[in-house]
Amino acid sequence: MTTAQETKTVLAAEHDVPIPYMQRTRDYYQALGFSPYRWAHFVDAPFTPLRTPLARTRVALITTAAPFQPELGDQGPGAPYNAAAKFYKVYSLPSESVPDLRISHVGYDRVHTTAADFNTYLPLARLKEAVAAGRIGSLGPRLFGTPTNRSQRVTIEADNPELLRRCREDGVDAAVLVPS
Amino acid sequence: MSLAARHLEANGISTVIMGCAKDIVEHCGVPRFLFSDFPLGNSAGRPFDTASQAQTLELALELLERAPAARTTMQSPLRWSPDAAWKLDYLDMTKLTPDKLAERRKEFDVVKAVAKTKREAS
Repeated sequence: MTTAQETKTVLAAEHDVPIPYMQRTRDYYQALGFSPYRWAHFVDAPFTPLRTPLARTRVALITTAAPFQPELGDQGPGAPYNAAAKFYKVYSLPSESVPDLRISHVGYDRVHTTAADFNTYLPLARLKEAVAAGRIGSLGPRLFGTPTNRSQRVTIEADNPELLRRCREDGVDAAVLVPS
Repeated sequence: MSLAARHLEANGISTVIMGCAKDIVEHCGVPRFLFSDFPLGNSAGRPFDTASQAQTLELALELLERAPAARTTMQSPLRWSPDAAWKLDYLDMTKLTPDKLAERRKEFDVVKAVAKTKREAS
């Protein structure tokens, strides 16, 4: 008689969970003496099923990365947090281009990664491959950048309506949003 | 970014977020979320690893196509490293002495002032 193989159950390490960013950030800023940040929160979420098969869908890419501006200090791989490189208005760039977008203006994990490869936060090249392979119908003519650093009020009242307006102008049915 | 996804979705555009901060995105509540358990900055896959980036995008596209309802999170099966010790380092308070904390506070005040000036000028 043959015996069937059995896969054993192995537990993961206690700390091997998604990082509790909200708790760590609260503890950190409290230790620094600042008042706690309040993250946006809703009970439910909107839902719009994809209307057409993805192979016929026009998709927009939306990023929080910032256009490189040489005069604004170090924005290269591993650069220290660079508040001068922040931006405060929605921007657009041609999807056909290979834009130079950086993330020195946000709090990425500078201990364990360096942002040396922009494809880790901007999947534009991979999206173009997906279009070429017929997986996606097309990319919108523009990719959009949206600021992360204003108040939630400004995001809701100014930036989001502007993003929607531009998505509609470009006739996109879907969007891939990539926070950095 | 979560707020942007919600606004587009509420106005007829299907969205998917690719991200690394699971608690923050889920706290907000978004239509579809592909979570990569990677250090912040790698929402779209591992550096210099085209296959990992393509796989990450493909999972996001599948979510876009097939999520049955809002607040659907999928976790990428990719691992940053076999050892999860990197997760302990982000804002690790145990490594901060009172002197270090004071230094960080000063740095933060400088950063805030720079951002404020830029914001007001924009």
